[in-house]
Amino acid sequence: MELTPSEQDRLLIFTAAQLAQSRRARGVKLNAPEATALIAHAVIEAARDGASHAQALVAGQTAVTETELLPGVGSLLTGIAVEGVFDDGRRLVVVDFASTDTNIPGEVIRLEVAPQVSTAKTIDIIVRNESTIGISVTTHMHFFEVNPRLKFDRAAAYGMRLHIPAGEHVDFPPGQDVSVELEAIGGNRVLIGFAGLVDGPLDAPGAKEQALAKAREWGYLDGGQS
Amino acid sequence: MTPEELRDAQQDIAVHGARKGDFVRLGDTDLVIRVENDDRETGNELQIGFGKNARDGMGMRSVRSSESCDVVITNVLVIDALLGIRVTSIGIRNGRISAIGRAGNPDTMNNIDVVVGSGSVIIPGEGLIATAGGIDTHVHAMTPRVCDSALSSGVTTVIAQEFGSFWGVGISSSWALQQGHNMFAHWPLNVGILGRAAGSTRDPLLEGLEGGVCGFKIHEDTGAHPRTLDTTLTFADEYDVAIALHTDGLNEMSSVADTLNVIGDRAVHAYHVEGCGGGHAPDVLTMAGRDNILASSTNPTLAYGINAADEHVAMIISAHGMNPELPSDVEIAHRRVRQATMAAENRLHDMGVIPVTSSDALGMGRADDTWRKTFAMASMFADHSILDGSVAPDEIAVSNERVLRHVAKITINPALVHGLSHEVGAIKVGLLADIVLWPYASFASKPNMVIKGGLPAYGVVGDPGATVSNAQPLVIGPQFGAYGASAQELGVHFSNGLSQVVVAGRRSVPVQNTRTVRGSDMVRHGILGEVQVDPTGHTVTFNDQIVSSDAITHSPLTRTFLI
Repeated sequence: MELTPSEQDRLLIFTAAQLAQSRRARGVKLNAPEATALIAHAVIEAARDGASHAQALVAGQTAVTETELLPGVGSLLTGIAVEGVFDDGRRLVVVDFASTDTNIPGEVIRLEVAPQVSTAKTIDIIVRNESTIGISVTTHMHFFEVNPRLKFDRAAAYGMRLHIPAGEHVDFPPGQDVSVELEAIGGNRVLIGFAGLVDGPLDAPGAKEQALAKAREWGYLDGGQS
Repeated sequence: MTPEELRDAQQDIAVHGARKGDFVRLGDTDLVIRVENDDRETGNELQIGFGKNARDGMGMRSVRSSESCDVVITNVLVIDALLGIRVTSIGIRNGRISAIGRAGNPDTMNNIDVVVGSGSVIIPGEGLIATAGGIDTHVHAMTPRVCDSALSSGVTTVIAQEFGSFWGVGISSSWALQQGHNMFAHWPLNVGILGRAAGSTRDPLLEGLEGGVCGFKIHEDTGAHPRTLDTTLTFADEYDVAIALHTDGLNEMSSVADTLNVIGDRAVHAYHVEGCGGGHAPDVLTMAGRDNILASSTNPTLAYGINAADEHVAMIISAHGMNPELPSDVEIAHRRVRQATMAAENRLHDMGVIPVTSSDALGMGRADDTWRKTFAMASMFADHSILDGSVAPDEIAVSNERVLRHVAKITINPALVHGLSHEVGAIKVGLLADIVLWPYASFASKPNMVIKGGLPAYGVVGDPGATVSNAQPLVIGPQFGAYGASAQELGVHFSNGLSQVVVAGRRSVPVQNTRTVRGSDMVRHGILGEVQVDPTGHTVTFNDQIVSSDAITHSPLTRTFLI
């Protein structure tokens, strides 16, 4: 058979699925490893039978039913990743079981709305993407130094970043105006790197003027007063 | 909350994990904790990935790791007996915890405690719980695989009594000990070996010290006589090593009162104090609650269950070189199994009287079950209303103190008892970065990652040929920290001041302060008082009040997760 490590791993899934299958056949309610094995097995076997990726996904999603599971198991059956050998090669399938069980191990209960952005003071600016492709900007990017093809009041954006939850971004589609809120960058306010327009303390005497001059020189579009 | 706010909250929890004030149910237990603190600044949470802020100049500072950290575990829910229950980040440098608090780049973010460098390794901790690595002070290493079993369950420090399938119960041959230390260096695990305190004279004990033991085991099967006890304790006081005691279960030379009399006020770690694992029958439990007796339990009697008594007779016979065909062996085995002391032991844990849990792996306990059993036991005494919906969410009885007490039993308290707390036992600046990451959903049952000395040593790994690292079949197995010279270097050999042993590639560290530690020092425990067991073994009292608990029919953390 000349089985690779990955192929040998398939046999582990098969063994666990056979065990789970025999337990299910006796009417035993399934726990997390048992149900997971049946779901992974169903995907692999669907792929082997010539199913499409979409069909194998459905096979995984329907491999077990809520009534076959122990209480508290349904919510654990999320993000089950498995690679089947499809007719066009090996493919990754990720299965989420749609559970309605209210017994949720590890459940987080939040009673009040938690803020997701800072309480910092903000300014509004309008940004226009003058290029032909979409541009996205993330939270902790120094907005002053974003893509030269975005046109907005650069001076107003000096030392600022987007006022949105950390890790999110704003899309600027080509040829459109987008209004965004900016807040001041915190900490020591020292920016090293980025596009190289500042590369030092934001608030040092003359730093802002120098950065603006550099931006002009390098062709950054600026919609502000100049 | 409106449905829209609820959806936003669920999304926020999925991205950032629990925040301050949130309630978190631990695994499938009845334990619900409330997050006490969150070191993050809202809007400035450090996040890794595509389009996230952990990038050069933004959340990461372009400096060497000597000015930042080698590794950082970000935004993780720490449950630590000393630190409490808080969302924070843990910086690691040279294998030790270097900073705890808010992580990021101080050039762009306010009040940063953990400086993250452009080259720092980042282990994202959102949705995970971090505890200190478990410390199992009672392991019969009868098979090498016991080390894998321990690591897979979130145990990073083991106090062993053998290194092979042979009769050990402590080893004092310095030649054999040198080999043993060499063998254990194969695993990214801190290991101390107990010497056998079976000599009535000092010479065998000295040999054990020269052979690098971290303490001694007194066991009735090799002689727990008054003379042995006294010689060993006197010796231990001179050289600062811990004494683990399994007392005379036959009451052959002494009863429990005599044993206590010989001990005097010297510190002793009383193994499996309930007595099923051995020791004065039926009343060894009376050793608990005293200031100089540091009592522990082994895991089969924890989360006292309806089948606990039934499994034990055969276990005793099998583990202790007895013969089931011999009526006298069967009879003394039966004497060790008492439901009342088991029921009382669990309650004494919840009260804070017994401060330590351990396994007794392969010698009447399970190497990979101590976290699970400790928290299944904690759940026995929690408010069960969370599941039946009989109370409104804001009235949920929060189990923070109970959870921290039970974390202490498997982390800081065993570290204190065996003199390891200068190296391990807590998530604390200066200690080894032995940290276990658990999903909220499988806390204390199945870890996601076991970090040993700052790097992943064990954890969930999947199909090695897949496009992603989390493809089935997921197993809990060795990570890179378990290979090559790193396995040696990431673990520590717990030793003593007279040791002549050199373990290639591994640091030897003498244990400390084992003789001055007291029950009242036990973190989130230290409840002292008088435990009494009536002569029939049917009733246990603490300060004249009956202590007991009901046997459970279903153990959390178990059926849901184990195939």
